[in-house]
Amino acid sequence: MRALVVEDDPLVGDAVRRALTAGGYAADHVVSAEAAKSALHAENFDLLIVDVGLPKEDGMQFVRGLRARGKIVPVLMLTARDGLSDRVTALDLGADDYLTKPFQVPELLARCRALIRRANSVANPLITFGGLQFDLARKEATANGQKLDVTHREWSILECLVLNAGHIVSKEKLLSSIASFDDDISPNAVEVYVSRLRTKLGQAALIRAVRGMGYRIDEITAK
Amino acid sequence: MKSPPSERARSIRRRLFALLLVPSVLVLAAGTLSDYFTAVTPFREAYDQSLIDGALAVAANVRMDANNKATLTLPPEAVAILRADSSDAIYYRVSDSTGALIAGDADLPEAPRSGTNPSRADARYLDEPIRVVSYRTYTNAGLLTISVAETTHKRDDVRTHILSSSLAVDFMELGLVLALIGVGARLALSPLREVQEQIGQRSARDLAPLPLDRVPVEIRSIVETLNRLFNTVSESASAQRRFLESAAHQLRTPLTGIQAQLELLVADEADHSKQQRLTFILDAARRLTHTTQQLLTLARSDEAANLRWDLADVSLPLIVENIVADRVAAADRAGVDLGAEIYPACVKGVGWLLNEAVGNLANNAIAHSPAGAQVTVRCGVQRGAPFVEVTDSGVGIPAEERDRVLERFVRGSNARGAGSGLGLAIVSEVAQLHGATIDIATGPDGKGTSVRLRFPVLSAPLQPAYASIASTSFADAQRL
Repeated sequence: MRALVVEDDPLVGDAVRRALTAGGYAADHVVSAEAAKSALHAENFDLLIVDVGLPKEDGMQFVRGLRARGKIVPVLMLTARDGLSDRVTALDLGADDYLTKPFQVPELLARCRALIRRANSVANPLITFGGLQFDLARKEATANGQKLDVTHREWSILECLVLNAGHIVSKEKLLSSIASFDDDISPNAVEVYVSRLRTKLGQAALIRAVRGMGYRIDEITAK
Repeated sequence: MKSPPSERARSIRRRLFALLLVPSVLVLAAGTLSDYFTAVTPFREAYDQSLIDGALAVAANVRMDANNKATLTLPPEAVAILRADSSDAIYYRVSDSTGALIAGDADLPEAPRSGTNPSRADARYLDEPIRVVSYRTYTNAGLLTISVAETTHKRDDVRTHILSSSLAVDFMELGLVLALIGVGARLALSPLREVQEQIGQRSARDLAPLPLDRVPVEIRSIVETLNRLFNTVSESASAQRRFLESAAHQLRTPLTGIQAQLELLVADEADHSKQQRLTFILDAARRLTHTTQQLLTLARSDEAANLRWDLADVSLPLIVENIVADRVAAADRAGVDLGAEIYPACVKGVGWLLNEAVGNLANNAIAHSPAGAQVTVRCGVQRGAPFVEVTDSGVGIPAEERDRVLERFVRGSNARGAGSGLGLAIVSEVAQLHGATIDIATGPDGKGTSVRLRFPVLSAPLQPAYASIASTSFADAQRL
């Protein structure tokens, strides 16, 4: 996996590059949008990490230009600015995710993994999440090497959670992912499927309920 | 804007009134006098003329006897007619060239000679003021002086009448003039009052220039100076705001770098003792980052309070979702069950400040709750008033400390761990900026704390542009 870090601050840029390298990526670091463009011209990257506050052309403009040229590479934006509106703007402009400084390295890596998983879910149907391996095309999964025996609905919910890993997925959204199987379905059904999934996943991954908001799947990291 | 008027506070209206009062009184007094004399003269002439007529009538009845001695041959009826007057006593006297009495009242004084004949004079007779007319005529008996006089009762009455009626009219005029001056001064100064009210009604944060179109020319320069001042304040405030924004950015970036580098170093370091030292530095960097963030937020919310920041419609559900989503991992590490209860609610405010404030409440709740406790972030509308609330089942804040914990650098007596003591001060500032009240109460089930921000009732309910981060942000990227 190749990642490009576009960050004008040498300390932050270097830290992100090192973090990505430690996370198993081949990472490069450039300090301007211009340099990023030539790097993108020369090579293919699987992930871009772009600071909003770049000199000259800022990160937002850069990403907009990128999307205008039809590049679909996943982009994670970093910003030192406050505010919710920047987050919305960044996502509207075509960024895939957004992280506010200061961030913690594990959070950064988790977001990167989630972006790559989602981007690859079409082209490359084989994805890994913690102790889980998915074959999205054949709708099969293994948990710590054991084949996971799940129903269609459980699969849909698990897929939805994994492709949005790192984020809370609302109950409504999970419900709509299974609604096509049976239009007359009760919201409580989600709880039932999640509960069954938890049992089946065992120690391979953790589905956490966030009261009032939905569910989030997390990799179980050894402490 | 209001200050109690000092004893000798300068008032343009009072001054105008005083300045116009004296000349008006003088002009009216002069008018009264001229009216009086104008009216009195014809009366005096008329009365004098009747005295002259009397004198001539008496003169016509002076006869010369054989010795050329003058005698008055006035029959008693004629004397009665002469003396007949309802209000005044009439006197007459005929004397010869030596002044010896020929007929009439003996001691009646004569009018001294003057350019006219008959001559007139004011005199006294029998202790009363009189008007006397003396007619001098040459006869065979030599110079005869015929004087006719009357007391001045009639004349006094007329004079009094004229004086009193002209005074009455003039006093009425004076009253009217004063009233007109008063009303005029008030009307003339009303543009001034308008400007005063306009300034008085402004909020202290309002730095928009005052409109100049209805300002009278006399105070235009004052208002223009005020506007220049507003402009200067507003410019320096936005410079301050830009400075703080830039400071936030400038401080946050290197701190992020330091923190991230330290995290990597801690993870890489094989030497346990070095790793421990790096961990200490990392913790310090995190505290530094946190305090910097808090101080900048506080400074900027101060700044926001001083200025009228553009308040936008802020969706409370969006904020609650954002806060809960960002803290799931932290809550997990603390073993705290973090949740949300979200009902539609929208306020006028500054989004990122509300996010910081509620975020601080959530951080406090998580930090001060034991493992297994519940922390819930709620928003909604109660009796028309939007609210956002964080409840926990943690250690709680003793009732007597609840007001003080909102102050800067004050921490509750049972606060746990390290903290700057700025979190609740930020909440308090942000609440103030949004006109919200902070209710600190004991949490549900009598445990922990519940902190609620109650916003003012919205006059016109806003339709929240309710976009849920958890459910929609990634909808576009989703290919399911």
